[in-house]
Amino acid sequence: MNRAVQTSVICAICALTTAVAPLAANSPLRSHVSFLASDELEGRLTGSAGERIAADYLAGELEKLGAQPLPGSDGFKLPFEFTAGTSDGGTTLGLTSADLDKEWSGTDSVQALSFSENASVTGGVVFAGYGMVVPESQDFGYDSYATLDVEDKIVLVLRYFPEEMDQESRSTLARYSGLRYKALQARERGAKALLVVSGPRSPNAGETVAMTFDTAVAGSGIVAASVGGAVADQLFEFVADQTLDQAQASLDDGNPHVTGFEIPGVELTLDVKVERERRTGHNVVGVLPGGDSASADKPYVVLGAHFDHLGRGKNGNSLARREEAGGVHYGADDNASGAAAALMAAGRLAGMERKRDVVVAFWSGEELGLLGVNAFLDGAESETALDADNTVGYVNLDMVGRMKDNKLTIQAAGSSSVWPRLIEQSNVPVGFDIQAMDDPYLPTDSTAFNGISVPSLNLFTGSHEDYHRPSDTADKINYDDLERIARFSALITYKLANLETAPEFVKVAPRTDRGGNRDTVRAFTGTIPDYSTEVEGLRLSGVIEGGPAAEGGLQEGDVIVEFAGQTIANIYDYTYALDAVKIGEPVHVVFQRDGERMEVTITPRARK
Amino acid sequence: MRIVTLLMALLLTATPFAGWAEDEPGESDFLTRVRRLTFEGRRAGEGYFSPDGSRLVFQSERQPGNPFFQIYLLDMDTGESRLVSPGTGKTTCAFIHPVAGDILFGSTHHDPESEAYQKAELEARAEGREKRYGWDYDPEMDIWVAAADGSGYRRLTDARGYDAEGSYSPDGDWIVFSSLRDAYDRELSEAEKKLLEVNPAYFGEIYVMRADGTEQRRLTDAPGYDGGPFFTADGSKIVWRRFDEEGLIADVWIMNADGSEPRQVTDFGAMSWAPYEHPSGEYIFFASNKLGFENFEVFIVDFEGTKEPVRVTYTDGFDGLPVPSPDGRRLAWTSTRHRGEGGQLYLGEWNHQAALAALERAPARLGSEASDSPE
Repeated sequence: MNRAVQTSVICAICALTTAVAPLAANSPLRSHVSFLASDELEGRLTGSAGERIAADYLAGELEKLGAQPLPGSDGFKLPFEFTAGTSDGGTTLGLTSADLDKEWSGTDSVQALSFSENASVTGGVVFAGYGMVVPESQDFGYDSYATLDVEDKIVLVLRYFPEEMDQESRSTLARYSGLRYKALQARERGAKALLVVSGPRSPNAGETVAMTFDTAVAGSGIVAASVGGAVADQLFEFVADQTLDQAQASLDDGNPHVTGFEIPGVELTLDVKVERERRTGHNVVGVLPGGDSASADKPYVVLGAHFDHLGRGKNGNSLARREEAGGVHYGADDNASGAAAALMAAGRLAGMERKRDVVVAFWSGEELGLLGVNAFLDGAESETALDADNTVGYVNLDMVGRMKDNKLTIQAAGSSSVWPRLIEQSNVPVGFDIQAMDDPYLPTDSTAFNGISVPSLNLFTGSHEDYHRPSDTADKINYDDLERIARFSALITYKLANLETAPEFVKVAPRTDRGGNRDTVRAFTGTIPDYSTEVEGLRLSGVIEGGPAAEGGLQEGDVIVEFAGQTIANIYDYTYALDAVKIGEPVHVVFQRDGERMEVTITPRARK
Repeated sequence: MRIVTLLMALLLTATPFAGWAEDEPGESDFLTRVRRLTFEGRRAGEGYFSPDGSRLVFQSERQPGNPFFQIYLLDMDTGESRLVSPGTGKTTCAFIHPVAGDILFGSTHHDPESEAYQKAELEARAEGREKRYGWDYDPEMDIWVAAADGSGYRRLTDARGYDAEGSYSPDGDWIVFSSLRDAYDRELSEAEKKLLEVNPAYFGEIYVMRADGTEQRRLTDAPGYDGGPFFTADGSKIVWRRFDEEGLIADVWIMNADGSEPRQVTDFGAMSWAPYEHPSGEYIFFASNKLGFENFEVFIVDFEGTKEPVRVTYTDGFDGLPVPSPDGRRLAWTSTRHRGEGGQLYLGEWNHQAALAALERAPARLGSEASDSPE
C-alpha cells in the first residue's frame, strides 16, 4: 500500500467512525426495527407471509444502497426449500398372536417419530432395554444389544436413559440417549423398526413422543414410532415373568447385563405415515460493489444477520409464558436489531473504495436451525457460492439491540489470528466494553461459516428475560448503542475488506464435553444464562417467572458455581449437569450473590 | 517499564478474590465507560497520550518472533496503530514529544545479541521454562528517539547500565529518566557488588538531560530504586517513586525540576508506585498493593499529600500505571481484569469533580504507623 492510498483509507475510517447525530426518533434503525417487529409481519416465521414481506423490505433497502444481486442470481431474494414440520398421517400398529389380534391407531397409542421412513413392516418383537450403545472410546461399557439378535425384528426400547445411576454415569449416558441415535443403533443391527415407550419410571411416563420439529430433513433409514404405555403393557402381557415396570426397574441401576429378550408369540405390523410439509424460505443477499477484486486474493467479505423469528412460537423453541402463548413473537432484538444494524453498516460501506466487495446477507431459517445460511453455503441457489477460497471473513450480528452498561460480547474470536487486531482497531474509536470469546461453535449463522473454514465473528449484547417471548418488542431496543454497533460493524468489515492478505483460518477444537443436545436435555429449570460474562461459574441474566429457578429463589445476577454436586465453571458444565438431573427430584444449587456464597434447592421439571 | 520484577511476577499470577461484597464506594464513582483498549498480542501496557489526546503511545508484545515489548503509536480517532520501535530487542517506556511528536523509548536493539535473546526466550517458552516476565534491567538498555513513523532512530544515552523510564518536560526541552549507571561508573564495595547481583535496581537514580541527550545530570542520591519519573503539567516539578533499600516498600515523591526540595507524598508502607499527575495539578494518580500484596489498585492523593489517598479502582487483578489524558477527562491504565495471560490497556471516562470531592472528604493522612500497614 503506498502512502497516498493509505491516506485515503485513513480518511475513510474517519468517515466510518463519525456518529450519525443526533439520534432522533426518525433514526433509520428505529424504523427498520419497528417495521420488522410490527404486528403485520407476525414474527417473521420462515416460509410465512410475514417473512416474505420482511425479505421484500430488506431487498428494497439493499436496492436503495446500490447493491447488486450476486453474480448468477436474478435478484436479492434467494429461495430455499425446507421441511416446515411433520405430522402423523395415521400411523397404525397391528398385533397378531395365537389368541389375540389387535390394532392401535391414534397418536396417544402410536405416533410416528418425526425422522421415520414411511413404510409398513412386519416382524417379531425384541425388547432391548434402553436401546443404548456407548461407544467403546468412552471406556464406559454400556451396550443394550450386547447379547441380542435383532436382525429383521421390531425393537422395543425405553425412552431416555437409566434413572437411578450416579451423576457421572448419567452424564455419560445422557449423550447417547437421543432417539435418532437409538434409531441408528437399531438400524445398524438390522432391525426392521424401532418402537419407543416412555417407561413408567421416566418423565412423561406412558406418553407418546411429540413430533417435534426436526430440522434434519434426511430420514433415518428406519421405520420408527413411539407407543403409549398401554400398548407396551399389552406387549408385556406376553412376557411370562415381568411387567414393563419391573423390566425398567432392573435396568435403572444401570446394569446393561439385564439382558433384553424376544417377546414370544407375537408379531407386529407397524405402518408409519409421516407427513412432511415442505415450504420455501428466502435469504436476502446483495453485493456492495466498489471492491478492486483484481488486487485481492479473496474478493469477498460478508456481513450478515438473520431476520427470521418464531412467528407465533408454535415450533417448540418459544419461551412464552402460558398467558402469552400463541401471541406474535416480535423478535425485535432477535434479530430485527442485527438486520437493522447490518443495513446501516452497509449504508456506510456503500460506495467506499475497498480492496474487496462486501456481501450483505440477511438469513432466514436461523431459528429453525441455520437453514437459510446452510442452504446458501451449499450453493444451490446461486452461481456464486461463497467458500473459503473466495471469502476473507464473515461478521455476524445476532441480538445486538439490548446493550447494557456498554458491554458487547464478541464471539468466535478464536477463528482467526487477525481478529484481536481488527477488534482493537475498530473499537478504539467506538469504545465498547468488549468481552472477546474464542469459541466459534455458536447457535447462530456464523457457525456455518466456521464450518467451511472461513474466519467468523459474532456480535451479541446478551440474553434477557424477553428472549424468545412475545415481549421482545421494538420499544425495548437501545437504539443509541445499536447505532454504535452499526458503526463498529462497518469499521471491522471495512478493515477486513482492506487487508493486504487474507487472514488465516484457525480451527478451534470443539469441546468434547458438550452435553445437552435438544433431544436429550429433559430438565427444565427456567434459568437464563448470561453468555457475555467470563466469571467462574454460570451467571444468570434472568430467571423465567414461575420456573423452578425462580421458585427456588434464584434471581438475575446470581452466579451458579455448583449444581447437583457438580462444579460449574461455565455454561457447558451447566448443560452437562442438567443432562443428568432427575426430573422432580430436588437438586442442590450453590451460587454467589454479591460476593456471598448461598445455597438453594430447586426442583427441575420435565421439558416436554 | 516503570515497574519492578518481583511485583510484575506477582500481578500476572494474581488470583482474583471471590468478589467484593461492599456496595459503598466503587469504581463507577470515578470511572465510567470502562473498556479494554488493546486486544492484539499477549500483553500491552504503559499508554501515554500526545498533548492533544489524539494519539497514545504504548508497549505491547505483538511483534511476530519477538517475545519482548515493542513500541506502538495508536491513533485514537481511527484505531490504527503502527510499530515505532525497530522490532528487535527489548523496548520499554515510550513517551511522545509534546511539540515535535517524536517518540522516546528505551531499547536494546543496538545490542548484537538481541535476536539471540529473543530466540532463547521463545525456546524457553516452548519448553515451558518461561521466566514469569523477567525484567532484568538489561545494562544495554538505552534511551532512543524516533520520528512518529518509526524512522530516523537517534540514540540519546550510551552509558553502561540500564537507561529507561524517560519522559519529556511539557515544553519538550528536557527528558527526565531513570538509570542504573551508578552501578557501573565507579568502583563498587563488596556489599554493593552482591547487591548488583540480587537487586540491581537498588542503583536506580533519577537523571535529567536535554531532549538531544546533552547535559545529563543526576537528581537523586538515595539508596534504593528511584524510577518512573514524570514532569508535572506545569513543568516545575517531577513526580517519581522511591523504593526502600530492600526493594519491597515504595512511595510517591515530588521534587523540583532541578532536584531540590524532595518530599514524600504517600506513606502506606506498601508498594506505592507509578505516579502521574492529573493535569489540573490538584492530585496525583498512583498504584499500590496496600489492600493485599497481589492486589494492585489505582489511588489518587492530593498534591501536597496531606490527605489519606482515595481508592479509584475496585476490580480483581492488577490495576496500575494510571495515566490521565491531557484534558483530564479520561484515564488510561494497565489491567489484568480480563484475566488474560498479561496486562492490557484500559480506558475510562474520568470524573474529575467526583475525584476532587472525594479528596475533600478524605481524612487527614494517617501515615504508615496506622493499623492498615502490612507487617
